[in-house]
Amino acid sequence: MRKRSKVARWALNIFAGMGLLYLFTPIIFIVAFSFNKPKGNFNIAWQEFTLENWMHPFAEKSLTHALRVSLEIAAVSTIISTVLGSLIAIALSRYKFRGSGGINIFLILPLTTPEIVLGSSLATLFLGQNFIEFGFTTIVIAHIMFQVSFVALTVRARIRGFDWTLEQAAQDLGASPMRTFMKVTLPLILPGILAASLLAFALSIDDFIITFFNSGNVVTFPLQIYGAARVRIPPQINVLASMILFLSVAVLLSGTIAGMRKEAAKTSAAKPKRHSLTKSG
Amino acid sequence: MNDRPMSRNMTRRQFLARSGALGAVGISLPALLAACGGSDSAGGAASTTVSFDNWPLYIDPTEDSALGTVDRFAEATGITMNYTEGYNDNNEYFAKIQPLLGNGKTIEADIIAPTFWMAGRLISLGWAEKLPLADIPNMANITDGFVNPPWDPTGEYSMPWQAGMAGIAYNIDVTGRELNSVEELFNPEFKGKIGMLTEMRDTIGLIAMGLGIDPSTIASFDDAAPAFEKLAKAKADGQIRQFTGNDYTDDLVSGNFAACIGWSGDVLQLGKDSPNIRFVIPEEGGTRWADVMMLPKGVKNSANAAKWMNFCFDPVQAALITQYVQYLSPVKGVREELAKINPELADNQLLFPDDATSARLRAFATLTEDVEAKFDEEFSAITGA
Amino acid sequence: MTTAVTASRRISTNADRVGLGAMLVAAVCLIALGARWVSGPAASVLLLVLALVLIGVLVLALRGGPEARRLLAPYGLLKPGMLWLALFFLAPVWSLLRISLSTKPSRFSVDYNFTWAFENYSNAFKDFGTQFQHAFVYAAIATVLTVLIGYPLAYVIAFRGGRYKNILLGMVVIPFFTSYLIRTIAWSTILADRGFVVRTFDAVGLVQVLEWLHIMDNGKLLNTPAAVIGGLTYNFLPFMLLPIYVSLEKIDTNLVDAAGDLYSSAARAFRKVVLPLSVPGVFAGTLLTFIPAAGDFVNAQFLGNPNTTMIGNSIQDQFLKQNNYPVASAMSAVLMFSIASLVLIYTKIFGTEDLA
Repeated sequence: MRKRSKVARWALNIFAGMGLLYLFTPIIFIVAFSFNKPKGNFNIAWQEFTLENWMHPFAEKSLTHALRVSLEIAAVSTIISTVLGSLIAIALSRYKFRGSGGINIFLILPLTTPEIVLGSSLATLFLGQNFIEFGFTTIVIAHIMFQVSFVALTVRARIRGFDWTLEQAAQDLGASPMRTFMKVTLPLILPGILAASLLAFALSIDDFIITFFNSGNVVTFPLQIYGAARVRIPPQINVLASMILFLSVAVLLSGTIAGMRKEAAKTSAAKPKRHSLTKSG
Repeated sequence: MNDRPMSRNMTRRQFLARSGALGAVGISLPALLAACGGSDSAGGAASTTVSFDNWPLYIDPTEDSALGTVDRFAEATGITMNYTEGYNDNNEYFAKIQPLLGNGKTIEADIIAPTFWMAGRLISLGWAEKLPLADIPNMANITDGFVNPPWDPTGEYSMPWQAGMAGIAYNIDVTGRELNSVEELFNPEFKGKIGMLTEMRDTIGLIAMGLGIDPSTIASFDDAAPAFEKLAKAKADGQIRQFTGNDYTDDLVSGNFAACIGWSGDVLQLGKDSPNIRFVIPEEGGTRWADVMMLPKGVKNSANAAKWMNFCFDPVQAALITQYVQYLSPVKGVREELAKINPELADNQLLFPDDATSARLRAFATLTEDVEAKFDEEFSAITGA
Repeated sequence: MTTAVTASRRISTNADRVGLGAMLVAAVCLIALGARWVSGPAASVLLLVLALVLIGVLVLALRGGPEARRLLAPYGLLKPGMLWLALFFLAPVWSLLRISLSTKPSRFSVDYNFTWAFENYSNAFKDFGTQFQHAFVYAAIATVLTVLIGYPLAYVIAFRGGRYKNILLGMVVIPFFTSYLIRTIAWSTILADRGFVVRTFDAVGLVQVLEWLHIMDNGKLLNTPAAVIGGLTYNFLPFMLLPIYVSLEKIDTNLVDAAGDLYSSAARAFRKVVLPLSVPGVFAGTLLTFIPAAGDFVNAQFLGNPNTTMIGNSIQDQFLKQNNYPVASAMSAVLMFSIASLVLIYTKIFGTEDLA
């Protein structure tokens, strides 16, 4: 019996390994082809190894420009959506109030609506009005729309269990509400807010479908790739994608190492932490 | 002590948040680098700029030692051209500009590059601005076939950019033999390996030619109905792998398409790197088309646009464009100029078709609004999108 | 005098009702204005109402005393975000529904006449029934596949990952830091007729088997229904895997050990203990996978053929190429309502609290 379960155990591990391989297949391909020297306009057949693309990652002007546009849009929309979403999250976890159940359900609605419906419906709102033209502004508005819910729910999940009586204590000691918020509340909920805003930023950078319906003449990074796919796939696309990938790996590794170190420090010192809230994975 | 319960409580969203955090950090660095790396050529007073939104890969770029047309133009006139490649599909582009032009506003580009039939539509909708013809002396160099064309009968609204033909493009490594007939596109031998264009007039036009219907005389849907039926059947049978725009070249080179409907210049351009790609005007004949330069209603830099058009209609400049894009030039004297720099190209039938070849080409008839609506509806029902 | 005082106190103690009411009124005003439900003088009146309501609440907050302020505070915090969603989420849905029942006066017109044009809906079903069918069938198959692939993977990471848990988890997430489109385009190259995968299958004689299974068609893997479903599965896998992992990770390993002692076989222990506890994860993952997959058009465009188009492709084509906003809106509306009802039914059957 032991033997059989051991076999089963290995079968499962191998299956999981194959799952990982499946996940990485296109990634390996993307990285490999960032070193390819393509013949013609499409970087799709292996020709020869070159470092040329990595030496000139920003040689494709339109691609670089599109990336910059995407970053600007992500920055603006993330700042606004983080403020709006965090306020909602604070309201939901700090107070018990009439209508909070309805708000909870309402917040999930944008997440359970297919992107194509969000994109096309927003486009119908912008069509035939004379206030805003399709472009940068409409993309930012669209991104904030789907980011707000994500931020609100993420922040709420992160600050669940926050001890709000601390605020009361600070105010009893004579701090003004503003000072209380800045000195007590904000530092404690900030990690959650930061995590949420990073998520929002990532969502904005990679959004294609909603942006596609509301972009007008503005070309974001995903839209540029979509356009390029029809006529020309320069290896710089692979280079930029690989860069993002490698940096993610670096961040992940350093995060894991930091986490392990913290773990080690904690077991040796065995000191209770002040607030469970400051914990990060 | 506090850590354990907290980690139990970790929810899906925290998870996404964490992974998002990784992603965002990962993304931001190359982006920062990018922001430093790029340099925008924007700036300068309005009177020294002009913008042109053209189809992709449709002009000679500045390479190593040789200046591209855009840069030669800047050198010659001091006008900075903001050249973009945002024109990917006629219908898509129209859908983009419609909310603006339809509401009496103008669009960003000073010059756009619609295909002839789209140019006709824009003119009849009143969404085009007249050209300042007096400022374009090189007008005189327009080849005879493009003087007062059917889509712009008075010749006041458009100047041709490039012309070309649609025929059959094929990858001889996959087909194993030369092709010479429209029928080959429906040959079961190539089932699931045939590409068709989303450009209705080229796809339906070529199929019609194959059926012996002259696309230049089509006036109603019934005239073209057999071609639609043939296409619909081929699609249902799985004969057609994809309906594509410019991207057919990708599938052709990689061997996913054995054969497809293609545009002459593209295939000639491809042939430089991939000799196994061939183009043929089938024995039943091919279609002819042109893309034009046009000013949208309310255009801002009309005077500079005129200078650009004048520049492009100088045969010396036009020959350099032709050498790169390898389409039919609408400019008189290009062949002579090209003979000086690239004699081989100057003798190419696909660039300078002789009378016998020209006689086998047909342009799609101008359709009335209602008829066109019916054609578009039926066609999009087949392409299945 | 006294009546005024009691009145103001009544308002103060009921400030939460006032706050909620003001927020709802403001939201309704914004929806009506945004969707151009009203126009002309009526719009000005609505704008005035909106301003008055917001000012009124502000006055109440400033003059109503600490109790009123405390009761009003949550609505004050909610209002900016909620009003944003009212204007840019609810109003668009409203205008989508309006346009879906409108007709265009002429083909290239930018104006619409609201005429209760239900024929847009019947046309949508008549012309695009197959695409609806493809969307739901492909999304459903892809969702099942993500469970089949994602669950074991999440299980191994959660229970056998040990100290490498975070690294393994990171490896699962990392591929999704490259752009969605780049990944999908990469698949289209990998699966190409002369690509590595097809050549390998050919070499080991798998092609016949796969053709018999209708996964490959006439020697090709790319541009088949299988490729579309495969792409959907790949792109939405993390949305399934992560929630499952979270629910598995919450399970106390002692519990699993105890179950192992209690029940004779590991399989039984799994079925009796682990599986029920991971249901919330599967539930959330299903929604997070199925919903975006059903509305997707990128996979069908890059990996499919003309006979595998999904409703997303049709909406995109009708909206962004054919300028047929009414029918495109009708299709969007149908997609939205069918998904909403599926979610409702699904939640009723398998519902848990742990969605958010």
